Amino acid sequence: MSPRVLAVFLLGGIAALDATPVAQTLLSQPLVTATLLGLVWGDLKLALEVGIVLQILAASTMPVGSRTPEDYAIGGVVGAGVALALGSQSEFEVAHNAGALVGVLAGMLTAKLGVPLLKWQRRRNEGLSRWCESALRAGDQGALAAAQRAAVALAFAVGVAATATCFGLAVRGLSALVAHESIRMARAWALAQPLWIGLGLAQLLHTFVQRRLTRAALFGIALLGGWLVLMVGTP
Amino acid sequence: MSGRVLRSTDLWRIALRSSLLQATWNYERQQGVGWAYALEPALQRIIVDPAARRARLADHTAYFNTQPTMASLALGAVAALEEQRLGGDPADDPAPRVKAVLGSSLAALGDRLFWFTLRPFAACAGLLCAVNGGWAGALALWTCYNVVHLGVRGAGVWWGYREGPQVLGEALRRRLERLVGVLATLGAAAIGLIVAMLLAPGGEPRPVVFQATLAAGLALGLFAAQRARPSPTEWALGFGALCVIAGWMR
Repeated sequence: MSPRVLAVFLLGGIAALDATPVAQTLLSQPLVTATLLGLVWGDLKLALEVGIVLQILAASTMPVGSRTPEDYAIGGVVGAGVALALGSQSEFEVAHNAGALVGVLAGMLTAKLGVPLLKWQRRRNEGLSRWCESALRAGDQGALAAAQRAAVALAFAVGVAATATCFGLAVRGLSALVAHESIRMARAWALAQPLWIGLGLAQLLHTFVQRRLTRAALFGIALLGGWLVLMVGTP
Repeated sequence: MSGRVLRSTDLWRIALRSSLLQATWNYERQQGVGWAYALEPALQRIIVDPAARRARLADHTAYFNTQPTMASLALGAVAALEEQRLGGDPADDPAPRVKAVLGSSLAALGDRLFWFTLRPFAACAGLLCAVNGGWAGALALWTCYNVVHLGVRGAGVWWGYREGPQVLGEALRRRLERLVGVLATLGAAAIGLIVAMLLAPGGEPRPVVFQATLAAGLALGLFAAQRARPSPTEWALGFGALCVIAGWMR
């Protein structure tokens, strides 16, 4: 197995840990994992194109209460990994764009499919926590640390396995399609990329604005001002 | 902290262990086991009798849930309560009530601050730096979030320990609410800048198709944001399928 592919699998496990069980430092966010994979694979531009789209969608997905959100930790790693693996097969721009399209779609599908997997892990943890309490009452104080270790190991293993499965399926199943239909897929990417970015940014804007007129006005001023500075240049 | 049983090292260990608060998250007890694990260094110091300590730890594995970063404040407050209970009436146990009250009020504030505001804001900061390429975006996102997240996670235990169950007082609540407002305002401005940079990166306007599709995405996104279902990902998958069909037919 290539070290670059191994890096994708390991990062999937690490992202799965950071997302919920350990620390929640946002190392698992698609922009961060895509950047790391872009540096490993030597194609930061393609990794960032995918990472930006998935990051915007991930940021508009809220892990509030006991709702299980889409798993963009693994989704981000699979998305960037698939795009890099497929995009690296050719030097042509259309092949890169086709890889980016397939990468984002694979990332979103993985994030969606990750929900039942997360729920399964959480149900496994119910048994673990019941065992922990009875072991404590039976006199084993080490049960707490043992339960934590087991849950962390399970999350890492599930992260690596899910990343490897989704990455393998996407790359094996879609590499021929990307090779033969790259022009059509690049056309689709030209439409889908701005649409996805706009969709996600609007969700974020809605989260920030919360019907406050001043915030909406500030968005407009920043957009207009930024655009003018870029087009006309600073005075 | 003179006259108190817990030492700084104990509070540090609680803060470190609070990173694993959600390791065993489950539907039945949610953060219960993680809570007991984080509190273990305090109980190790406070309760000398191993059997009593294990029983107390087992009690703490019961249901608990809050926003994970803000949990540090509750951990510090309950550690202080456990300390006060030392030598007192064992039947008088305010910890479950304090955990329930602090858990829900910290969650209400923490969800707004961390999930609804800081996380999207950090993403915007990262995107602002990443739009023009380069690795700085990832660093900006990570740093922006963790200055607050790791700061509260570490210092929160001390605040909670010092203030006790009154940790979420009016002053702290007001300060955090103000932070939410400032971050949301800056976030809205950051999105404006991101859109401007996407429309004309480096002063070169993008093709009309890109600009029109981005505007369509923004309009559709604002419409989609009015409802919780379908989720943004489901919308994006639907639009992605349409774009693939359009790419094939063109």
